[in-house]
Amino acid sequence: MLLTIIIFLPLLGAFLVAAAKCINLGDSALKGIAFLVSLLTFVISVSLYLNFDLVPENAGMKYYTDIQWIEGLGIKYQIGIDGISLWIVLLTTFLMPICILASWNSVEKSISGFMIALLALETAMIGVFCALDMFLFFVFWESILIPMYFLIGIWGGRRRIYATIKFVLYTMVGSALMLVGIMYLYFQNNNSFDLLQLYGLAGSIAPERQKLLFLAFFIAFAIKVPLFPFHTWLPDAHVEAPTAGSVILAGVLLKMGTYGIVRFCLPLFPAGVVAYTPLVVTLSVIGIVYGALVAMVQPDLKKLVAYSSVSHLGFVILGLFALNHQGLQGAILQMVNHGLSTGALFLIVGMIYERRHTRMIADFGGLSKSMPVFAVFFMIATLSSIGLPGLNGFVGEFMILLGSFVSGKFSRIYVVIATSGVVFAAVYMLWMFQRVMFGKLDNPKNQELKDLSIREIAVLVPIIVFIIWIGVYPKPFLSKIEKSVNNIVILNTKDSSKSVLGLVGTSADLKTMDLNSHE
Amino acid sequence: MEINWQLLMPYLVIIVTFILVLIYDMIDSLSKRGLAWLTILGSLVASIVSVNMLTAGLVSTTEFSGMLRIDQYSLFFNLIFFVSLILVSLISLSYLGRQDLRQGQYYLLMLLSTFGMMLMAGANDLVMVFLGLELMSLPLYVLAGYFRTNSYSSEAGMKYLLLGAFSSCFFLYGIALIYGGTGTTDLAKIASGQFSNNMLVIVGMFLLIVGFGFKVGLVPFHQWAPDVYDGSPTSVTAFIAAGPKAAGFSAFFRVFIESFGSLENDWILAITILAALTMTVGNLAAVAQRNIKRMLAYSSIAHAGYVLVALAAGSQNGVSSATFYLLVYCIMNVGAFGAIILTKTDDGDTFEIADYAGLGFQKPVLAIFLSVMMFSLAGFPPTAGFISKFYVFRSAVESGRIWLVVIAAINTAISAYYYLRVVVTLYMKERRVELKVLPYSGYLVVALILATAGVLLLGILPSQILNPVQEAIKNSVMVSVIK
Repeated sequence: MLLTIIIFLPLLGAFLVAAAKCINLGDSALKGIAFLVSLLTFVISVSLYLNFDLVPENAGMKYYTDIQWIEGLGIKYQIGIDGISLWIVLLTTFLMPICILASWNSVEKSISGFMIALLALETAMIGVFCALDMFLFFVFWESILIPMYFLIGIWGGRRRIYATIKFVLYTMVGSALMLVGIMYLYFQNNNSFDLLQLYGLAGSIAPERQKLLFLAFFIAFAIKVPLFPFHTWLPDAHVEAPTAGSVILAGVLLKMGTYGIVRFCLPLFPAGVVAYTPLVVTLSVIGIVYGALVAMVQPDLKKLVAYSSVSHLGFVILGLFALNHQGLQGAILQMVNHGLSTGALFLIVGMIYERRHTRMIADFGGLSKSMPVFAVFFMIATLSSIGLPGLNGFVGEFMILLGSFVSGKFSRIYVVIATSGVVFAAVYMLWMFQRVMFGKLDNPKNQELKDLSIREIAVLVPIIVFIIWIGVYPKPFLSKIEKSVNNIVILNTKDSSKSVLGLVGTSADLKTMDLNSHE
Repeated sequence: MEINWQLLMPYLVIIVTFILVLIYDMIDSLSKRGLAWLTILGSLVASIVSVNMLTAGLVSTTEFSGMLRIDQYSLFFNLIFFVSLILVSLISLSYLGRQDLRQGQYYLLMLLSTFGMMLMAGANDLVMVFLGLELMSLPLYVLAGYFRTNSYSSEAGMKYLLLGAFSSCFFLYGIALIYGGTGTTDLAKIASGQFSNNMLVIVGMFLLIVGFGFKVGLVPFHQWAPDVYDGSPTSVTAFIAAGPKAAGFSAFFRVFIESFGSLENDWILAITILAALTMTVGNLAAVAQRNIKRMLAYSSIAHAGYVLVALAAGSQNGVSSATFYLLVYCIMNVGAFGAIILTKTDDGDTFEIADYAGLGFQKPVLAIFLSVMMFSLAGFPPTAGFISKFYVFRSAVESGRIWLVVIAAINTAISAYYYLRVVVTLYMKERRVELKVLPYSGYLVVALILATAGVLLLGILPSQILNPVQEAIKNSVMVSVIK
């Protein structure tokens, strides 16, 4: 019930905003309603975390609800979360009020429409991470397209129409295949879309079928992540999207892809995973290096951050396919980390853009003198994105690299190349930071820039708090993830051992390498 | 011969309405609006009667010496026709008012055509199918050419008539061959016979596919559709796009699933290829259209392809999914035509998609109606377009037609491009020409609200309709090959 409230409260908020618009309330009232609703959603969702260990669980899922929806088609309204989705749901509810606050003054056209789109988007996003019925999952997955399509298309930049259509079409092509896969699984699963039930039967699917199904699902998720070479929609969408759209896109929407891999590909199709691991890992390593190199030469700040996402998400995929505890835990933590640090970077870029109406690195220089407070926030976000020890990025990336190094699922040479991505990240981020913030403050337009307002500080502080918290003391985060990751690993290995295809690594390895004990 | 008039109530109600409208039209002093209200009232009564019969658990019966079958299947299709007729009449009320036409004939022709559709859905004999087909089509030819002074409209009527007559020949010849091969035109008797090696029957069956293909607009028999849709008065286009297509499919399914069920191996490949071809050509051609009526014409061709996927499933679920799909299809198509019916520029009516630029902020309510219809046609959740498409695909996967579903799913993604382009134009493009939207009359708004509510309700809570559909199909359609 609690989860249902969290899912649909934002939608209710969207209707409230629409109603407020109809009775001609002012813009600030509309923004206020939207902000309060999203804040309330966040506050309620925190209780998910607080009570997490207390509530009963059903097959590893907590806050479980299961009621009939469309009986004639075997569709249920079945939701629940585990330690993995918990964090992504919290990330979503956490970023949403921040996004609304960040777009307080920057939206010119139809503020009510903007807020309605954001709130509707929130409902769909939370729904994706909570759905345990495959049909329900797909409904939420596709529903995301409509508000996002409007967000980019109406409130976006100059090439917004191209960007938004590209975004929608890429996603739709991918999900069309996934839909066929879901329907096939329905009949394998005794006419049910129940994912938990399917987990029990997954091993019985013929390995050849598993490979096809893996592809059907994986392509949909890889487009969303985006994995090289499916990434070309991302820079366009990011550059054209309004700040709030970029934050949501990077922070949450990309995670739908990686989350889908964790939820569907890994546990359901072990034979497919084994067959395609070399390909997937190669692509993710290419993505890491390619994203970093392309980011390095970008003249546009937003594009730079967008390409850095391609690189970071490559790490996440690498960690997932390591298929051991460190790799998976690191990957899931890194999903949250990326949402925080990249979200912060997009917010920061948005703040300079609002002041100068340009995002070209060449137009800036020496900003740290005119905007000292801004410089501090920017620095922390930059370092977090690089993965400096003591900040969140380090924990995730380190666990991913360690996990993939010991995994034995793929050659260590991949890990070595991937590690170079960390170095590249330092190069492009620091170089960008240097060109924007340091040097001579010679452009007169830059000299008169105002430093951050209270509202903008309020937008950034919460994110920075979590960036440092996860960096210094990740245990509360990892402890919740750990058990759910175990389930995924067990499901995957159980079935792959059946098809005599190698275990994940010995338990001795896992114990000595367990990061939790180090922290 | 004993006739159970009670079972024929829906038919009788429509005929009585027809006569009442005829009389009403002759009295000059009465307002012409009353014609539409009579039509709506008649279809409402007929719907209520049909729903009553459905809920009372009607058992399949044949009437008129086995010519007509009254069963839940035909009743359900009747409901689809009535819903379309009601919505189209509401739209016509506000459209015809300003076009100044002789309205009496207009509603009479629609009622007559609807009666033909009902005969098709209830046909239990190939001759009856043909009778229904002609009774449905002849009024449509007249309706398409209803704007006599407009050359496009006349062209549409002429083209529709010629090609329709041409396709009827195929259909008749098919019936003749089947009669030659089996000695009967009774659908149930054909179903019980064994004709797998009978060339006459097989050739006749393929000729029937051609005949039905013309009526429901399958590729490569679709060429009439864009011109007819474009040239006809918009309210008539809405009518042509909805009911007749559903009627064509109702008979198509009954003949192929029931009578030729045992010959499935002979027709399934042809139907599969036709389905793939229809979807793909329809969608690709729609991408290239600049005129919204032509775009919707090609989109309706593509939708016929999706319905054919359900036929290719060849199962009970296939039939129920097609029935549900056609209901949803009719509602959203009439809604889409209703939403564009009142826009015009200084040069007159406009259906150029580009002219709608900026309408989203100029006329927000109208734009929301149109957008919902577009999202539903494209098959986005949470609209009915998604659920119905999902059900069709699901039944095809159930029967093992996975590759066909893959093609269909990719087609859905293609179709999103052109449906979304309308929404892009509405909300994201700068205004190009001054678009005048006539003050919308209450009737049109009622029609649009009904259509939008229908699309959303069926999308979110489809069980209310879906369960009865499944029940009705289970009780009335015999599938010879149990899957």
